[in-house]
Amino acid sequence: MKAFPLLSLLSALLAGIFCPSIQADDKEITLYTQRHYGFDEELHRKFTEETGIKVNVVKAGADELIARLQEEGENTSADLFMTADGAGLDRAAKAGLLEAMPDFAELKNVPEELKDVDKKWVAITKRARVLAYSKDRVKAEELSTYEDLADPKWKGRLSIRSSTNAYNQSLMTTLIAANGKEEALEWATAVRKNMARPPQGSDRDQIRAVAAGLADVALVNTYYVGLLENSEEEKDRKAAAAIKLFFPNQSNRGTHVNISGAGVVKGTDKKEEVTRFLSFLLSDEVQAMYPVNTFEYPVVSSVDWSDRQKEWGSFKADAVPLSSMGDLTAEAVRLFNQAGWE
Amino acid sequence: MNSAEITEGSADYPFRFRLSPPGRWGLFVGAVSLCVALPLFAVLLFLLQPGPEWAHLQSTVLIKYLGNTLLLLVSVLAVSFLMGVPAAWLVSTVEFPGRRFFSWALVLPLAIPTYVAAFVYFEGPEAAIPLLVKVRTQWGVDAFLACEAIIRYGLLILLLSSVLFPYLFLGARSAFLQQGRDVLEASRCLGSSPRRTFFRIALPLARPGIVAGGALVGMEVINEYGAVHFFGVPTLTEGIFRTWFGMNDKASALRLAAIVMIAVLVFLAAEKALRGRAHFTTENTCSHPPARRRLRGAKQWAAFVICLLPFVLGFLYPVIRLLTWAVSQVEAGSPVFPSVPAILRGTAVATTTAIVVTGFAALFAYAVRLRQSRSREMLARIATLGYAIPGAVVAVGVMAFFGFVDRSEVPGLPVLGGTLFAISFAYFVRFFAIPNQLSHAGLDRIGRGVEEASRVLGHGPLQTFLRVNLPLLRGPLFAAAILLFVDLLKELPLTMILRPANFETLSTSAFSLAKEGRMHACSVPSLLIVLIGGIGLFLMNRRMDSDIRP
Repeated sequence: MKAFPLLSLLSALLAGIFCPSIQADDKEITLYTQRHYGFDEELHRKFTEETGIKVNVVKAGADELIARLQEEGENTSADLFMTADGAGLDRAAKAGLLEAMPDFAELKNVPEELKDVDKKWVAITKRARVLAYSKDRVKAEELSTYEDLADPKWKGRLSIRSSTNAYNQSLMTTLIAANGKEEALEWATAVRKNMARPPQGSDRDQIRAVAAGLADVALVNTYYVGLLENSEEEKDRKAAAAIKLFFPNQSNRGTHVNISGAGVVKGTDKKEEVTRFLSFLLSDEVQAMYPVNTFEYPVVSSVDWSDRQKEWGSFKADAVPLSSMGDLTAEAVRLFNQAGWE
Repeated sequence: MNSAEITEGSADYPFRFRLSPPGRWGLFVGAVSLCVALPLFAVLLFLLQPGPEWAHLQSTVLIKYLGNTLLLLVSVLAVSFLMGVPAAWLVSTVEFPGRRFFSWALVLPLAIPTYVAAFVYFEGPEAAIPLLVKVRTQWGVDAFLACEAIIRYGLLILLLSSVLFPYLFLGARSAFLQQGRDVLEASRCLGSSPRRTFFRIALPLARPGIVAGGALVGMEVINEYGAVHFFGVPTLTEGIFRTWFGMNDKASALRLAAIVMIAVLVFLAAEKALRGRAHFTTENTCSHPPARRRLRGAKQWAAFVICLLPFVLGFLYPVIRLLTWAVSQVEAGSPVFPSVPAILRGTAVATTTAIVVTGFAALFAYAVRLRQSRSREMLARIATLGYAIPGAVVAVGVMAFFGFVDRSEVPGLPVLGGTLFAISFAYFVRFFAIPNQLSHAGLDRIGRGVEEASRVLGHGPLQTFLRVNLPLLRGPLFAAAILLFVDLLKELPLTMILRPANFETLSTSAFSLAKEGRMHACSVPSLLIVLIGGIGLFLMNRRMDSDIRP
């Protein structure tokens, strides 16, 4: 360890690290995103090719990003905030971190219920939280609603992930909205008791558990089934083949539909570029790409679903306003804690 | 540093008044400690002001978090003790087939991050499903649930121990090697059996090394986030995230962090108190390492198995599984390779940070030693506490700190939040303890003789450091830089929260793939972590070996 090679290595490293960030490029936007799908990177490349605008990405959990936006305040480098869950978007808007979007043509194609009244955010894709049940051990007639999962007949038969997960928290807010706090707590307590194992793993792992015979019913987002069916691992494709999807609560308020969406970060000086990015994501072309790549539903109603989504069938969606989700998240976590749902 | 503090001890070190410029070194020590202490004090402040959800936490989940944390702590410590200490004793005192190999290979599990081990061992609960289904049909749901819990907790404890035991192994091994032949031979000559010698002499004498290793294992367990989440065993660390982000209650979350920190402090203080005034060093530094007795017959194979088992569990098995996954990825024609420039940048940051922080630590340890005052010793101790705070808490503390700096708009200062500087600073706060402790130990071994000679011959303190101490410290500093580098390579929560745009490390890309349940896809970045870390550890180990036995 002579001093000279060490010093030259050090300075080379330092130069390599800091130089690229020094040359500022006007044609770029910075995205704080919770979305963690490989397909998003393809989209960003496509956008850069078409417009010459580079997309810088910071990936983390929605709430970590919110905390970061709050600390960075006016000095943040973020121009756009994206989540994989409506509640996170709503919390960012209510924390005053987002500003109203300028009008652009594609925004008008998004139905009113999928954007904020103050235009602080807009949905980019939709996903439904549904039941994945074993083809062999469960008949579709046995399933009905989310509420029914609390029935003792499911003891030791359910597989659901941790309540730390945003999808479960958002579902819980709709149960609070529909049935009130007390019933929601009873529901969570009973469902936790019915689980075949304590919550663990991702939505994919819940489907795998049903396929392997550990549980009979799992609660998952629709697109995970599509992703498993097209997985590079044979085990996953087999797991997807062993289950069927059921859209709960069709007889009453409808299935819980969550969104993945975006909002413009307050004080950005890249409004024009950000608007171009949003109109790109909401263009018919890109909207039609989501159903076949990430298996999410498009938000523009003129865009067709993928064949696989059509086979899952059309369904009635819960009409509870997305803006109520952010308010109820903390309450949802509190109830999960009380229910002992890890 | 005011001169009133420096009254004692001028007899044994007469030059410090005349030669060290008062203040400059003290300022340096103070500044470094302050940097590390800032997030720490922020956390402790919250002990006094409970957040709105505290009562709710206390009545619902707190006991569960505490229980799980304690259970993991105690059982992982016990299991890794059994894995690490006997093996360390064997490789340092007896001769058996494979001894040379194991004496370095048993360090390799350190290259495997706990969350990567968790991905691999998660196949266990999956493989157990048919068995569990059988239990359910035969003995009913309750027996099934009990079995499920036993398998899950058991595997989690096993996997954490298998990748963390090398800390104990390293601590115990260097202690055993330094004990020297004389005491052990004296014990044998006086008629003690080898077993009695081990339990009555070697083990008690090795206590500082074992405790230091155990403390590292304990802190890793307490700060563990990925594996426990994966196995559905919520501990205090997960509670911190959940309370902060899910319930939006920063104060209660930091109170949980303060509990973690205080637990660590109590643990460390208790050990110090128990040790009392006892000294564990052998005065005679020329003492030879113990001569190795050759084991024969069944005994040598028993020794072989005792060393082989932890190696297989902690390294060989995970690596083989990862390799099979990677191969199946390539065969399927869709290997997921992490983005190369981003990874290079991440690795470059880890390298630079490791070198710079180690340099700082060496200078810091030297500055503390330069003038032995109680306040400097206190500051030195504070500077090691970053390791006791969960990475996520350090991250948020650093984020808040730079947010404040950026808002106050100091003229000429660029925005620092969200930059590489911010994340490197956070690494510094979190990991300063590692190189700091190794530098201290290294300086202690050098002794003051050469240093004083240099000063008498007219060199200033800085020149003495650069021309005398630094060259002599090469070994320990090299080891420190490598250990730090491996830790940075594996680091997850802090990196996730603070990383600048387009900044990806091998660990973040492996973890986000695994979180999506794409186990085979995450094998490539995981293997790269193990490979790079493994090479580093191999080099470090060779160096340490040649240091101990020239």
